[in-house]
Amino acid sequence: MSSGDPTSQEALGFLTVLEHEQQGLVGGYLILNTAGRPLEFHCTAPVKPSRAQQILFGPTLDSYLYGEQIGQTLLAKGSIAPVAVCTDVQRVLSVRDYVSLPLALVLVGEDKPPAQETSAPPPTWRFDAPHHAGPDMHAFEIGRNRLAVAAHRDADRHEIVARLNGLAAFDLSEPFERIREAVEEAHKGPRG
Amino acid sequence: MLGRAMHERPNEPAKGAALGDFGANAAAGGAWAWKPSLEVPTFSTTASLDVHAWPVPWALAALRPPTLRLASAQWAVKLTAAISLPIVAPKLKVFSFRFPQPGDWLAKSLASSREQAGSPPAPSPSINAAPGAIPKAGRTRIKPPGDIVKLEDRLFYVLQPSLETLIGEGSLAFPFRPFAYQFEGVAFLYPRYAAILADEMGLGKTMQAITAVRLLLHAGELESVLLVCPKPLVTNWQREFTAWAPEVPLAVIEGDQAKRRWQWQQNDMPVKIANYELLQRDRELAVELGLKFDLVVLDEAQRIKNRGSATSLCVRALERRRSWALTGTPVENSPQDLVGIFEFLSPGYLSDAMKPRRMGRAAADYVLRRTKDRVLADLPPKMFRDAEVELTHQQRESYQLAEKEGVLRLTEMGESVSIQHVFELVLRLKQICNFDLASGESAKFERLAADLDEVAASGRKAIIFSQWVSTLETLAGRLAEFRPLLYHGRVPQQHRDGVLEQFRDNPRRQVMLLSYGAGGVGLNLQQAEYVFLFDRWWNPAVEDQAINRAHRIGAAGPVTVTRFLSTGTIEQRIDQILREKREIFDTIFSDVEPARNLGLTQQEIFGLFQLRCPSGPIDLAA
Repeated sequence: MSSGDPTSQEALGFLTVLEHEQQGLVGGYLILNTAGRPLEFHCTAPVKPSRAQQILFGPTLDSYLYGEQIGQTLLAKGSIAPVAVCTDVQRVLSVRDYVSLPLALVLVGEDKPPAQETSAPPPTWRFDAPHHAGPDMHAFEIGRNRLAVAAHRDADRHEIVARLNGLAAFDLSEPFERIREAVEEAHKGPRG
Repeated sequence: MLGRAMHERPNEPAKGAALGDFGANAAAGGAWAWKPSLEVPTFSTTASLDVHAWPVPWALAALRPPTLRLASAQWAVKLTAAISLPIVAPKLKVFSFRFPQPGDWLAKSLASSREQAGSPPAPSPSINAAPGAIPKAGRTRIKPPGDIVKLEDRLFYVLQPSLETLIGEGSLAFPFRPFAYQFEGVAFLYPRYAAILADEMGLGKTMQAITAVRLLLHAGELESVLLVCPKPLVTNWQREFTAWAPEVPLAVIEGDQAKRRWQWQQNDMPVKIANYELLQRDRELAVELGLKFDLVVLDEAQRIKNRGSATSLCVRALERRRSWALTGTPVENSPQDLVGIFEFLSPGYLSDAMKPRRMGRAAADYVLRRTKDRVLADLPPKMFRDAEVELTHQQRESYQLAEKEGVLRLTEMGESVSIQHVFELVLRLKQICNFDLASGESAKFERLAADLDEVAASGRKAIIFSQWVSTLETLAGRLAEFRPLLYHGRVPQQHRDGVLEQFRDNPRRQVMLLSYGAGGVGLNLQQAEYVFLFDRWWNPAVEDQAINRAHRIGAAGPVTVTRFLSTGTIEQRIDQILREKREIFDTIFSDVEPARNLGLTQQEIFGLFQLRCPSGPIDLAA
């Protein structure tokens, strides 16, 4: 996201990364207004780490791919600065090290199956919906949504609660379904 | 022999002796005993005795001066090649898409409505009001149709929220929550550039079209929409827009040419409504002004089934990006009707040569057709009863005489007989079935009057259809006790809304008489629980239209349809043809294998009177 852009009081960002069995990781970033209408959408070409990257980055590879390479790139593409960014992939939280926006992980409710099971995406896409905040996370709720931030980013929690407080009825997990469908559509390419 | 003295010098002490005293035992040849001493021992002996001292190696080593030897060796090692691997993050390719935003009219309209309401500025549209708790199964998502090939266009639709979310949005007011099938209808229209919404009458095609237009306007996808409808329905559309899209400014094109010219050029009115006849008059004006529309919607689109008609040519000449057709009867007489409508949607896509089943498959992605029995489980039932009446004695005599004379005349005409001549006879006989002009008797009327007594006594309402204004007026006179309202082509346009209002709102106006032409389409008469078809129209689709004025959403209760039929007359023969026409429709819009070609032929028309006919097909109901 352009750092110079003023933060829009009308927009929310939704960032996710999908894993394709053959082609690698694909990131999607959807910016909605507070009515749920799409304002912008950005998605990456598939990213597949080389063998050298796998060896050299070691355990930091995920953080690098999800956060620095995909997440940061996508957020930088947005021309509208949302009040906050949500993700449904815990590894994406590492992008917070590169951006100034508050970032929260949307947890799937106990009574709600992962989107993978209900939206029937193609089997080549893998998506693991987070059910629980890990030990290094701080969980909280906004309306019917369960969210979490990294423990060392606890200030984000207060900021997000303040900014999203008026959106208690919004289902923050729903936009990720749209992103997954769009990524799938983009993956198929144009028709005809 | 390092342990032995290597030499012996008399003046020097033996080196080995200096290290210690071996004791007397040694001299005595006893056991060795050595005492270390710092003094250099001397040995005096007179005997020539070789003394051998056996120093231990470490003693010798201690005495030996250190010797340093230097050794050099050539250490030749081949240098290892170092490989530098820069970790450069590859530039990630990103596909970006920005969504269009609505035009200025929306902000102006919202601001205006707030001013009128005298309320402070409302907060920005909030998803507070959005039904966030809508279960996934209850969400209607917009799917791009197969003929949209551009990825950007497909993503535009895929990324839209569910319709339930949009409609729950605070800024979009709805008089009531639409039915699930209506959401599906909106989702069908929304992404399509060519579409026919062919729902059965009464399912809310108007509302679905308005909602789809409204959402597309809000999404910035449309800026100029032209809605074309029959003239009597213009006010109905206005009313429906006010109910379903109150914030959307609309203009009704009317008045003299100067006024119309000005109206056509109003760019701040995203929706314009025109009637078919007016559009034909303004055909050249549209070309002169270079009118372009993002969407043209045709209501009662069966009007353009005839490709050569002025109406069809006129609407097809309009420059537009999207084309939608609304009709409950996309096929009235033959599959060619559908081809005619497709000439407006997608010219050349269907052809007359296609067989009905193939045509049905080709059109499937463009046509959405639902019937009430499938989607409205809660809609009150519709019950038919065929009231077969025997003509009165006088009627029968008049009928037989007219038929005999007519057939004789047609026969005498020989090869010069035309379909028009046959029709004239048919119409004359049908009129006698209604009322005998000579005696004024009517078996149908007697039955109708009896039924209306019951209807009136129950406090319910009834609508009665006929194809003749003269019949309606005769009925009005004879049914005066019921104070019937009249709605037909001769009722001035400006009085029609008042007539409808009376019927809807006045509990003492329980009966309305309508012509198929003027009252058969577009009217909402849910207050009526009884429908009487005093005479039969030429095709069942028009009859369905009429019946569904009452049997539609909001119907007060079960709708009873009485179809009058004079036995042993032309009406019975026509009824048989109508049943066959219905089968044609079912063939195209269902998977039922057609039993045979059921198109109405000239032979069949002539066959009504067992006449031999000239060859060639005709279009009876054109």
